[in-house]
Amino acid sequence: MNHKTNLGIRAILYSARKWKKTLLVFCLLLAITTLVLSGLAIADAQEEQAEEVRGTTGASFTVERNLSTGGWANDSDGTYSTQELITKDMIQKIASVEGITGYDASNGGVPTLYDEEGNNLSLSPDGFAYYAYGAYNSEFNSLFVSGRFELVEGSHITEDVTDGIILSRESVEKNGLKIGDKITGIINPEYNDPEVEMELIGVFDIVADKDDTINMYDASTYWDYNQYAFCSNSVMEALAVNYSDDGIESAFFYVEDAAQLDNVIKNAQRIDSINWNNFIITANDEVYQNISSALSDTNTLMTTLIVVITVVSMVLITLILSMSIRNRKRETGILLAVGIAKPAVILQYVLETMLIAIIAFPLAYLSSKQVAGAFGTLFGKTAANVIVTPQHFMIVAVVGAALLLVSVMVSCIPAFRLKPKQILSQME
Amino acid sequence: MSIMELKQVGYSYDNKRKVLRGINAEMKQGKLYAILGPSGCGKTTLLSLIGGLDSPGSGQILFDGKDIAKTGLGDHRKNHVAFIFQAYNLIDYLTPAENVSLTSKLPPLPILERLGLTKEEAKRNVLKLSGGQQQRVAIARALASEAPVILADEPTGNLDEDTARDITEILKESAHQMNKCVVVVTHSNELAREADVVFRLKRGELQTLEKVTGTKNDNRRNGRRGR
Repeated sequence: MNHKTNLGIRAILYSARKWKKTLLVFCLLLAITTLVLSGLAIADAQEEQAEEVRGTTGASFTVERNLSTGGWANDSDGTYSTQELITKDMIQKIASVEGITGYDASNGGVPTLYDEEGNNLSLSPDGFAYYAYGAYNSEFNSLFVSGRFELVEGSHITEDVTDGIILSRESVEKNGLKIGDKITGIINPEYNDPEVEMELIGVFDIVADKDDTINMYDASTYWDYNQYAFCSNSVMEALAVNYSDDGIESAFFYVEDAAQLDNVIKNAQRIDSINWNNFIITANDEVYQNISSALSDTNTLMTTLIVVITVVSMVLITLILSMSIRNRKRETGILLAVGIAKPAVILQYVLETMLIAIIAFPLAYLSSKQVAGAFGTLFGKTAANVIVTPQHFMIVAVVGAALLLVSVMVSCIPAFRLKPKQILSQME
Repeated sequence: MSIMELKQVGYSYDNKRKVLRGINAEMKQGKLYAILGPSGCGKTTLLSLIGGLDSPGSGQILFDGKDIAKTGLGDHRKNHVAFIFQAYNLIDYLTPAENVSLTSKLPPLPILERLGLTKEEAKRNVLKLSGGQQQRVAIARALASEAPVILADEPTGNLDEDTARDITEILKESAHQMNKCVVVVTHSNELAREADVVFRLKRGELQTLEKVTGTKNDNRRNGRRGR
């Protein structure tokens, strides 16, 4: 039977008999690991929230004719652009780009609207017309995607709706309208333009701050948002039959993951059959940009906190371990003097630390499950969303063990640079 | 045949002060060697060099005819020599039995009992033992290691006269009955008188004295500690 007190036994005996030192390192490791695990869980909750926000806010991009690169012509109605129009084929091609989950294409028009009794649905005494979009899927119009407008009643215009119209709440309330009412539109009665009958299917609210002139007004139209309308594309084609250009002026493409908007736009611009010199692409991701900026700030704060906690903790652990090993210089000298090799002595010290870690890490996993939620609330997270997972534990266990190994080895350097005689002489 | 041989061994502190100059000596198994000399003359340094705790500045130290610098100081410490220090140098979180077992696979109790420790004392914390008992544990550790060379640095320096006499007897027995080569650095003339060969280290040179004579009072003149 081998009675030798080998390094494993020495490590266990040291940990057990020098229990105060063991307890100190244990408590420190437990606290640090709990903090780091909680930090990782909060960071993940943050990322999840960001993904959720990206999914819910979404973003879109608008493709419009580039009037500056096209020519101009004159007729009896005045000057008009000869720039190429967007075709349905182009829209289908762009819509097939990965990441695009919906689209809307529209032609603008300025019809005058009337209720069933023939009253002008004007918001102003001069009977000013509405600025109307002929839409395929109004929910993907940049005004809705950007969050400036919000549908508060009824439904959006889709490709299946052939005679629908959506008006602003102010317009609906001022003119005593309700969902299902019939509305008639005409571009210009003096030119014998056709009257087209529509049905009010939805009401939108203006969310944009009315004092915010950038968001409140469309720079190209200067129309009050309350006088915007969205009608079925077929309605707009019928209204503008006398002005038909056989094409679409602008199209909106919805991207669910707002963070991918730039990539999707780049992929769309790779479609060779479209002459992109004739079109302008504009990104509509204001909501995402505003939210992601706040999220990004919190993410940076979280990452910084985790890094600071880890670095400070490791410095603290290294200091405590190096003080502990410095205090064991005599023991190191004795062990070397009795013929125990340096690697075996270092391994003993490593093993002692790992023995503590083996107990501290799983306990930290359990304790972090209890406290991570509470820490999360400090960062504006719901406790239920801050979850410490086994993956977090594995990361912390592996990285933590590696850092402890390095800490012990670094702490051993001063003692092991000396010869055993020097160590023992210093001790005497 | 000599088990340890020193050939022209020299050593200086910080490459300035020479403490050992061209030392030649031979040591055999079954003999007790004593090294005497005034404090600071380099006795402990010489013992450290023989034990592979440090390397000589010049010369060679041979174990069984082989240069320990070439075979490895760590290997020499592990397999060829065992130390007994004046300050005992026991590991404080281990019991006497566990300290003895640091270097030996053999059961520690028989040797501890042979050196006068009871079973209970063998399982106690080493710091709760008296100085004499701690030194017996240190000797037990050295003997249990089965190393053929035992190097003792003032092993009786911290002990009362009776205990010192017991320790001297144990070292003598280790040499004569266990066939160890025991090298003792000491100020004690009593211990030196029991040695088979006595060396005196003076001004960095080692002289061999065949017989030591003197009284206990000589100890006071020699001082207590070596270096």
